This record gives sequence, structure tokens and C-alpha cells, in this order.
Amino acid sequence: MTITIRRGLVAAALLGCAPGALMAQDFTPESPECIAPANPGGGWDFTCRQAGKTLQDLDLIPSTMQVVNLAGGGGGVAFAEVVNKRADDNDLVVAASSATATRLAQNAYPGNTMDQVRWLGSVGADYGVIAVSADSEVQDLPQLMEMIKSDPTSVSIGGGSAVGGWDHLKVLIAAQEAGIEEVRGVKYIAFDGGGEAVTQLLAGSLQAFTGDLSESTGFIESGDIRVLAVLAPERLEGEYSDIPTAKEQGIDAVGANWRGFYGPGEMSDAAYDYWVSALDQLYASDEWKAIMESNGLAPLDLQGEEFQAFVQESVSEITELSKEIGIIQ
Amino acid sequence: MDLLASLGDGFAVALTFQNIGLALMGCFLGTIMGALPGLGPSNGVAILIPLAFTLGLGATPSLILLTSVYYGAMYGGRISSILLNIPGDEPAMMTCLDGYPMARNGRAGEALALSGVASFVGAFFATWGLVLLAPQLVKVALLFGPAEYFALFALAFMTLGGVSSTNQAKSAFAAALGLGLAMVGVDTQTGVPRFTFGEVHLYDGIDFLVAIVGLFALSEVFIFLEHRGTDKDASTAPKLAIGRIVPSWGVLKSCTPTMLRTTVLGFIAGVLPGAGASLGSFISYSMEKKLVDRNGTFGTGDPRGVAAPEAGNNAAAGGALVPMLALGVPGSGTTAVLLAVLLSLNITPGPLLFTQNPDVVWGLIAALFIGNVMLLAMNIPMVGLFVRVLMVPPRILMPVVAMVSFVGIYGISGSSFDLMVMIGFGVMGWVLRKLDVPLVPVILGTLLGNAMEVNMRRAVTIADGDYSVLFGSWLTLVLWAIAIVGFVLPIFVGGVVKARMRGAAQREAAQTD
Amino acid sequence: MSDRIFGGIGLMLALLYVWRAAIIPDSFMSDAVGPRAFPYGIAAVLALSSVFFLLKPDPAPEWPRAGRLAEIGFAVLVMIAYAQLLPEVGFLIATAFASAYLTWRLGSPPLQSVLIGAGTSIGIYVIFRLILGLSLAKGPFGF
Repeated sequence: MTITIRRGLVAAALLGCAPGALMAQDFTPESPECIAPANPGGGWDFTCRQAGKTLQDLDLIPSTMQVVNLAGGGGGVAFAEVVNKRADDNDLVVAASSATATRLAQNAYPGNTMDQVRWLGSVGADYGVIAVSADSEVQDLPQLMEMIKSDPTSVSIGGGSAVGGWDHLKVLIAAQEAGIEEVRGVKYIAFDGGGEAVTQLLAGSLQAFTGDLSESTGFIESGDIRVLAVLAPERLEGEYSDIPTAKEQGIDAVGANWRGFYGPGEMSDAAYDYWVSALDQLYASDEWKAIMESNGLAPLDLQGEEFQAFVQESVSEITELSKEIGIIQ
Repeated sequence: MDLLASLGDGFAVALTFQNIGLALMGCFLGTIMGALPGLGPSNGVAILIPLAFTLGLGATPSLILLTSVYYGAMYGGRISSILLNIPGDEPAMMTCLDGYPMARNGRAGEALALSGVASFVGAFFATWGLVLLAPQLVKVALLFGPAEYFALFALAFMTLGGVSSTNQAKSAFAAALGLGLAMVGVDTQTGVPRFTFGEVHLYDGIDFLVAIVGLFALSEVFIFLEHRGTDKDASTAPKLAIGRIVPSWGVLKSCTPTMLRTTVLGFIAGVLPGAGASLGSFISYSMEKKLVDRNGTFGTGDPRGVAAPEAGNNAAAGGALVPMLALGVPGSGTTAVLLAVLLSLNITPGPLLFTQNPDVVWGLIAALFIGNVMLLAMNIPMVGLFVRVLMVPPRILMPVVAMVSFVGIYGISGSSFDLMVMIGFGVMGWVLRKLDVPLVPVILGTLLGNAMEVNMRRAVTIADGDYSVLFGSWLTLVLWAIAIVGFVLPIFVGGVVKARMRGAAQREAAQTD
Repeated sequence: MSDRIFGGIGLMLALLYVWRAAIIPDSFMSDAVGPRAFPYGIAAVLALSSVFFLLKPDPAPEWPRAGRLAEIGFAVLVMIAYAQLLPEVGFLIATAFASAYLTWRLGSPPLQSVLIGAGTSIGIYVIFRLILGLSLAKGPFGF
């Protein structure tokens, strides 16, 4: 199970930039619109609003990005709307993330598949972490996995997503890689958001926490929690470089929560190219780099065909995993 | 005196021309959004985030703008509760119980002003609590594990009896109805959809704003339609008197102990992530009713019944900032939005926030004080303006209320389906009202049902199926004890009080004869 | 009498709820309590309180006559039509119609109702769309 992340390859960025710069503007959106498939204030909403604002600041879109909130069904309502009603809308993009891919893989959008839309590009990723509280006796990931292996009921792991969601899957991926046969025995407790789970970790109700790096940074810096492993392909750069990866501890688990956009399935090729190149230039800009840094996003620079392939791959991997552990038949 | 010095620095940050202007704008917009049914503090803050971005504000000014909106909306929610019997947002629900009867009795102005003062007291002391106690209070939040939360919610429901209806069975029915509706959606602990009838729109559950607006606002429209042209027609009834604008000293004095008690209670409820402002105002009201309602005047326009929930919910709003700033854990929907704002401004709330970004924290706290004073100063003179809403004939007012409700819901979720659900709630609300089934427990059930169930299941799952964990700590035992006393006491005392009242009524009747 | 009928409906509701809870599918992994236990408890409270209504009903409320009921029914229909047509015809038109209807039924003269309806619609549009920046339904004409 590997979700491979191409880290900011200069070559790719250069290649990506070239068509944007050379391409004659065959298409310009009249009124660019971004659907956030959730209520205001959530991650998807922020993806829309921040990307929209930066795109406008960089003059990559001609006018203000209209952000429309279309909540429901964990993004399924928006997905169905785009597929059924707005399949040929060239001005439209929709915010998406690993949660979208997870739900698509688990058929949680009834009757919809990832091929019904066009995947435009990513704007960053957030790596998974597995942590314990600072006074825990567990020192590294193999030790935690060993505890689970000998007595699954002795370790309660909390995370911010529902059962079968991304935070849960990350632990299961690690457990699988660590050689735990019956991953369903792993005791996962779902909370409303990573913050609540960390609080219960500190309160002593839980033995371990699974979440994204960005939602744990405050507690890492204060020394309240100890991160056993980051689920990245290699060590992160900067201040979190001393956190060991799962891989170097012999557990080959990688999990990244990416953020990106898709567009309607019958979007014209000119419009598709336009949005791909706009996202590409957005990603390359210093403004976006600053936003990524402030939001704790790690690099994930994939646009157009590459991104389509990436989503395809992650959907099929999650499908496989979900089948293996019995979430879907 | 470090604290005061830091606070002084905070005021130096906050007291610039631009920041005061932003606070004023935030307070004003917040009050309006709080008063509009369908838009509450969390949506209000979320809606104005783009404005903060568009204006290109820095971290502190953005926070000042958005927290002013937050506090403003907490103030504003009461306005429509009192004037229209429609809560502007969920924490203002309890204010309907005595605020609307007060308005009916011709004391609308007084109720508005009094609730403004109560809001100020609650928010003011809660902000001091935030300044002085934040680090210690974090420990309180850490005392609450899943079992304790379950006991806390059980307490809320067990003390429900008699809060809003004379018939206990109807309160219980209403609460169960609300809890039942809360179960709709994908179960987070197992991932299976429940009671969704295969409808994708229901997978996320029923938004309580949809429920509250439908139950209260639309059912009100139906009641007006029903009564038009009959002797109950409100449009032909004599004009409501507005009454005095400033509450008398006597009233203020009689409410002061209530305000102080409920401020403490609301603040604590706010500090607990997962309890929040609605629980704060609810517990405040039910406690005050049990403590001081000796003559059974609560629910008929008792000023203390207005002061209690308003002080409670505004104190809870301040309290909710404690876990958000000190732990990075949002205690309510609104603080969740504020948290997202903080993150996007490159500020990571958490244990180190107070040392790493003192300018932001203290600037924010100073802004809370400023916003609070501003809201009081703005709200009292505006009482005269607000009560004019009552002068608008219902045939114009009610359609506006209905349309604003629709727009509020549609503007947030963009979904016709939500509107259909809301109409369903409207019809249900009308039927329940006819049958004298109280609506407050229904909302409380939808609001807290999920948290209650999920915490029970978390506790039992962590204990590997051992249900005794629900009574496993001293704190759970204390909470259960209060719950049982609160549940049993009214059954005995209620009988005594009723008998005494009957006696008093007879004596009075004898005297007037 | 009303309370007795209400109690009967409440009992049926509780039964329906138990049935819907019983057919909740089993998940690939279950917690110690499971997704059905809590709903069963809720249904029990519903049923108990309904039995109470059957045994000790309150005096019946005054129900409206058929004409009034029809009035409410029509209002519900208009609201449903509004909810359905909102995304099709756009905010301003749909809202003007719906609020004009309600204003008329609440006792304003027809012409005045139309004016008030249009006024309400435009007023809300200005506040919510232009000032607060919410995305309201866009019809074929863009408003």
C-alpha cells in the first residue's frame, strides 16, 4: 500500500508551466465558480476560498471566484449535482480531498464513480501521523503494533474521521504492514475532528491518536504528545525533520491527505487545459507556498493527466484495502 | 501583575482606529445575523470570512472582526426570540420561554434591555474568566472523558421535566422525538447509514438549524394562517404596548443573583468542548427555575427567566474560547470556524499559543472586552428600534420571516432538499403546538442526541463492553447524583408547590370575594 | 380525544422506529454497543410516553375547521413549490411569488400583496446577496 507522492519536482513544475505560458487563451471563464461540498468553514470551503482568492490575486482568473456551498452526503450531493446537472459547465471547479477518493472507493456516493468527472490538480497534501501522549511508555511504532498484536483490546486509538474514513484507514494500513492479520480487531474510536481526539488522548481515555500532521502541530511543539511515526515516504523537511517515518521503522505505510479540485465530466478540452494550467501556476506561486506553509500542507504537485492517474491509483488502492478489511464486498 | 501588563499590551494592539471600526462593523453585522432566523453565530462568522480575506486584513484585525461577529450574533439571537417567539439561533431558544410572554405582556422593551444587560454580564465575566483561568480550566476539560460527557448529557435530559411544559410525558415524548431525529445519518462509530431511507442528502444527518427554523418559524406562519379572520386573529388584536425601554432598578436587582449564578454555570458549560452554548443556556434556565421559581412564574414572562439563559449562553460563548485557544479544540460550531480562521492565518492554537503569539491572544481578549462594551452601548439605544418590529402588521411580517428562513437555510447549504425537510418540520411543529407538546426538548434532542449516543458508545467500547464504566469515576457519580435529584425532586416538590399554589389561589379568591 | 389519537400515532411511530432500527445493516466492524441499542432506548421512551397519553389524555385542543386546514395545506404546497422551483427560476422571481402569496393569504389586498412580495424579495436579495455575499439560487436570468 503506497500512495506515492511526487515531491515538488522542479522538472515537473517547469514542464507544467510551459503550456500555461505558451498556450493561447482559447478559453476564459466568464464567471468562475467553485463548489465547496460542505458548509462554510470546513476544509473544502477553505480550499475553494483560498485558491479562489489567490487565483484572482495572480490574475489567473478574470473575476472573483464565486464560492457556492453545496453540503450533504459527505460531498456526494455536490458530486451528483455536477454529474447530473452541470456536466458541461466550463466555469466550474469543485474542491476535493482524500475523503472524496475514500468515499468514491467505498461506493459511498451511490451510483457515482470517479470517471464521471475530470480531475484537475492538487494544491498540497497533509501527511498522517500516529502519536501517543508524552507520558506513555510506548516509544516507537513497532512497539505500539506489538501491543495491538498481543492484545487488541488494550489499545484504543482515536481519530477525527468516522469508522472507515481516512484517519481510520491510515491505522489499518500501518497495522497491515506491521503484520497484524485481523485488522478489524484494532480498536478505533471515532471523534468529531482530530482536536477532540487529541484531548481525549491527553485526558487518558485513549492510548494512541491517528490524524494529520497539521492538526497535531500545536501539541507536538508543546511536548504534550509524542509522534511515533509520520506516514510520509521520507522524512519531512524543516522543523519536523526529527520525526521518524513509519517506513524507516520497518512498517511501509504511507498516507497523505491531499487537497485538490475536479471539474465536470463534459468540460471542454480548452477549459480543462485552462484550469489545469491555472492550478499549475497557482501552485508555483510564492503566494500559494506561503498559504501551504501556514496551513501545514506538504508539497504535492500534480496537475492534469498526472493528477487523474494519481486519484485513479489512490481510489483503486483504497478499494482494495476496503475489500480486504470488509468495508465493501 | 504580568496578566494586567499583557492585557494592557492587548489593548494597545486592539485600540487602533481600524480595529475599533472593524469591531463596530462586526458587532453590528453579528447582531443582525444573530437576529435573523436561520443564520446563527457559526454561519455568521463563516459568511464573513471572505470579507476578512477580501479586505486583506492581518491576523489580529481579522480575529477582531470575526469574534465581534461571534459575540454580536450571541447578543442578536435573543431579539427574534423575544419579539417573535422564533429563536434567531439555537442558544437563544431558551430565551423564548419567558422573553416572548414578557413581550406579550407589554414589556418587550424591558425584556430586550434586560437581556442585553444579562448578555453583557455573562460575556464580561466570562472574558475575565478566560484571562485569569484559561490554563487551569484546561485541566477541567481534561477531566471529562466519554463517560463523563454521557452523564452530563443525561443530566440535561433528566432535568428537562417541567422546564417547558406542564405535562412531563409530553416533554419526554418531545425529547425522544428529537433524539430519534438526531440518529438519522451515517453512524460514525460503525460507518453504516441509519434511518436514511437510502437518501444521500440524509447521510450527514439533519442540520439542527433546519429543524429549529422549521419548528419555530414556519409553524408560527401556519398558526397565523390558521387564526386569520377568527377571534384569535393577532392582526386585529389591540396593538401591543412596547412598555418602558429601560428596566427598573428593582427588576435589575432581582435578576442580579440569577445573572451571576448562570454566568458561572454557562462559562463552565462553555469550557467543556462538546457541551457548548446551547447546553449552557439550557442548564442555566433549568437550574434557575429550580432555585428561584417559587411561585411558578417562570414561563409566563418572569424577567429572571430572560436573564438566566442570556447570561448563561453568552458566558458559554466566552468559555468556549478557552479550549479553542488553549487546546485547539473547538467547543462549538462557531469556535470550529474560528479555529479554521486561526489556522489559515498561520496561528496554531494549542498549549503554546499564549507564549508564542501573545500579541494575538491578548489583542483578541482586549477586542472581546471592547466588543462587549460596544454591544451593550449599541443594544440598549437600539431597543427602541427593535421593538418597532412589533408594529409591522403580521400579514407583512410573517411572510418576511418565512422567506428569510428559507433564504438562510438555502444560502448555507444550497440544497432544496433541506428546504423540504424544513417544511416538514414546520408542519410537525404546528401539530405539536396544537397538542401542547413543547418544542424546546425536540431541538435539544436533535442538538445533543448524537453527542450523547456517541460518548456512551465510546466509553463502553474503550472499556471493552463493560457498561459499569458509565458510573466509573467520581465525576460521573456526581453528575448522575445531580441528574437523579433533578429528576426526582420535581415529582415530590412539584406536588407540594402545586398544592400550596392552589391554597394561595383559594385564599386570594376568598379575599376578593 | 386528540391526545388518544396522538398516543396511538406515537406508539406506531415507536414501532416503526424499532423496525427501521432493526434493519440497520451490520457493519464490517462493530463497537461494543452497536448502532441499534440507542435507537431502541429512544423507541422505548416514545412508546412509554405514548401509552401515558392513551391513559391520561389532556383536554383536546381546538382544531381548525376544514377551510382553515385547507389554507394551511395550500401554504405548505406553495412552500414546497417554492423549494422545488427556486433553483429553476432563480431567487428573485420565486421569492416574490411565494411571499406575495403568503402576504395575500394573511389578509393583504391582492395588489398590495404583489408589491409587498416584490419588495420582500428585493430587500432580502440586497441584504443576503449583495451585502452578506451568500450564494442564492441563480435562475436563467442570473438572479
